[in-house]
Amino acid sequence: MQEEPETASAGIHGRKKKEKGNMLKRLVTASALALTLAAPAAHAQAAKDTLTIDLPQDAATLDPQLQWNTDSYTIYRNIFDNLVTRDSSGKIVPQIATAWKYTDDKTIDFTIRSDVKFQDGSKLTADDVAFSIKRIIDPKFKSPQLSQFDQIADAEVVSPTEVKVTTKSPYPALLAQLVKLSIVPKAYVEKVGDQQFNAKPIGSGPYALVNWQHGIQTTLKANPDYWGKKPEFKSVVFRAVPDVSTRIADLRTGKADLITEVPPDQAINLKGASGLKILSVPTERVGYLYINAQGGPTKDLKVRQAIAYAIDKQGLVDSLLQGYGKPVSILGAEPVFGYTDKVKGYPFDPDKAKALLKEAGAEGAKLEFLTSPAYDQTQVQAIQQMLNDVGFNTQIVMLDQATFLKRRQGDAADAGSVAIGRWSCACQDADGIIFPLFHTGSTWAKYSNPKFDALVEDARSTLDKAKRMDDYSKAYEILREDVPGIGLYQVYAIYGASSHLQWKPTANESMFVDRMSWK
Amino acid sequence: MLRYATNRLIQAVIAIFGVLTIVFVVMHLSGDPTLLLVPQGASPEMIAELRHQLGFDQPIFVQYLEYLKGLAHFDFGMSVVQRAPAIDIVMSRLPYTIELAAGALVVAIGVGIPVGILMATRRGGFLERLLAAFVLTGQSIPTFLSGILLIFVFAVKLRWLPTSGIGGWQALVMPSIALGAISMSTFARMVRISMLDELGKDYVRAGLARGLSLGSVVFRHVLRNASIPVITIAALEIGNLLAGAVIIETVFAWPGIGQLAIQSIQSRDFLVVQVIVLLISFTYIATSVLADVVYVVVDPRIRLAR
Repeated sequence: MQEEPETASAGIHGRKKKEKGNMLKRLVTASALALTLAAPAAHAQAAKDTLTIDLPQDAATLDPQLQWNTDSYTIYRNIFDNLVTRDSSGKIVPQIATAWKYTDDKTIDFTIRSDVKFQDGSKLTADDVAFSIKRIIDPKFKSPQLSQFDQIADAEVVSPTEVKVTTKSPYPALLAQLVKLSIVPKAYVEKVGDQQFNAKPIGSGPYALVNWQHGIQTTLKANPDYWGKKPEFKSVVFRAVPDVSTRIADLRTGKADLITEVPPDQAINLKGASGLKILSVPTERVGYLYINAQGGPTKDLKVRQAIAYAIDKQGLVDSLLQGYGKPVSILGAEPVFGYTDKVKGYPFDPDKAKALLKEAGAEGAKLEFLTSPAYDQTQVQAIQQMLNDVGFNTQIVMLDQATFLKRRQGDAADAGSVAIGRWSCACQDADGIIFPLFHTGSTWAKYSNPKFDALVEDARSTLDKAKRMDDYSKAYEILREDVPGIGLYQVYAIYGASSHLQWKPTANESMFVDRMSWK
Repeated sequence: MLRYATNRLIQAVIAIFGVLTIVFVVMHLSGDPTLLLVPQGASPEMIAELRHQLGFDQPIFVQYLEYLKGLAHFDFGMSVVQRAPAIDIVMSRLPYTIELAAGALVVAIGVGIPVGILMATRRGGFLERLLAAFVLTGQSIPTFLSGILLIFVFAVKLRWLPTSGIGGWQALVMPSIALGAISMSTFARMVRISMLDELGKDYVRAGLARGLSLGSVVFRHVLRNASIPVITIAALEIGNLLAGAVIIETVFAWPGIGQLAIQSIQSRDFLVVQVIVLLISFTYIATSVLADVVYVVVDPRIRLAR
């Protein structure tokens, strides 16, 4: 698609040599004109067949069992299938597995589709499924995704269409995690090796890799033998465009049909621009404020409560997120299993905050607000102001990311007083949020409550959904009382798209091109 | 001459060693790199295991020796994120940055030198003031702003040039201008100053008195003498252009090492960052040594003065 304007210019320059005369001026003008005309025409024609998506970065790896940062994940998930997936409404539905059944608390039998072929023509069988699971949980493979799947003990082939998966203990989040476990071709991976598989991955998904130009773009083409619904776009190009202003310029000029990670203030500017639209969706990601319950002035519960009363969540959402977000009462959002609206958050009440601070005798207490450039500094400053308004002396401590993590995850005495973050486990389950954040001994936890620990441990090891819900409700209630952190807002994903593009973004921030169409 | 060059080389080696050490200290003493590499929910055991695998649990001095040993074997380590040798990743992106730096140098020299000559020969006139404003603009607009302005005007509004990415000379135009602007101003000012210096000398007056036109005096004699400091500037600007590419490549989605540096910092791929920092530092050192040597070759008076 991008080559077309070049070809046009080469033609004109070629002619220039033959004519030899002093027509240079005319020809330059002509070639410039040809280029201006050729470029938009090429885009308009190609747009129906080829979808161009601007991401902030290129994929780091395309082996789906290696990096799962947003950009790699976005691209490789179009090449591969999983045992199960989530439909547009967020429900877990069959993909490679047609059915599954628990034979006991720790064993689940999956029935595999028999009509699926990998993009090299080989058949996908239970062998490939078991291989994929074993590969990612093998500690020697050092998958960065290992912590997502380390509750899986083993995967065994029962028959060519049946796989038995066992977990270390009853593990309710298994299906939610399997949504992300890509099925890779055993024979091919073993033949070419891990490094080559990463360079030229083959999957069974709706799109196949054509060309991966590192740091520039990744081109996929529709898989003609795909077992499911045939995708509408014959090819898709994921470009790496780090600067958001440039992504927006690409969208405006038609160089891109869809762009990701549009900040709220830019989204407001783009609203009403002709030929484009803003797509946004509430995600499972939640913005939160961590409060150190084991060190410094925030060791005092009243001080932590005062912080909770001092934060104007609605104000944050309205002024900094321009409405692209929703205040939350707990550290979790609606698309997450375990979310409850029964636990009430702390309302914005500066007077109460001041009173609590006075009661605690902590007026003017010095709070260390740890942060790094990875976090939105306007939010940091807004929260600092809110805290100072009720009588704290909040000092922002700007650190590089490595030092930030070292202090935030290290000894409680040195872990600052507060910090902001945006958390998502991409599993839509409270187990992936409040367990790592607050369970005793977890690197992020600067808090310990045996009652809370017992509840989240129980919720992790029972398959009884009602019991799990109950556990999480109680656990969230304890977090409300102890305030080792508070949920601030549910994050909305914001995309910019051509007004022709039909697509419904999902809460887990997936981007499946086969679910997109052109109007 | 040989002694002079040898001295400069020894100085360069000391500088390189200093750079290696500073890079190591910055990379290894600012927090625990392991924490940057593990997923957000990792258990303390997983973190400890990875720390051991990467050797970060060794005493810092042992790590430093290992690091120097690796560099001596041209081993810059594996990118933990991309699982490929860090040096290969950087080298695959280097050609794009060289292309961009060359484009910017063409803009800087192609515009900067004529502007400097005009400013010197039309001293005090309206044209000089106009060009002075032009030079000041080029010098003072930050590159991230000029980049976005160029995209807005020439790509979004006029649609003459592509907004971003690589592909043909058209794609190179805007990033070269944005990156070359500051160097252009430096060249213009340098040329103006050294031209004015030369124009006041006796040989110019003698030439003019002999009936030569100002143009032929300038192009035959003055420019040649005025070019010596400009050569030095050119060499030094190459290093500046490489460093400036970090911002410009990000704005224009240009796939060079500048963009790679930003990406690697964001994805905490610190061995790749290390290679890039070393590469840019070496380029600085190499070009400044080269400039010093060329300076002496072109103007023997400098050698004699020492």
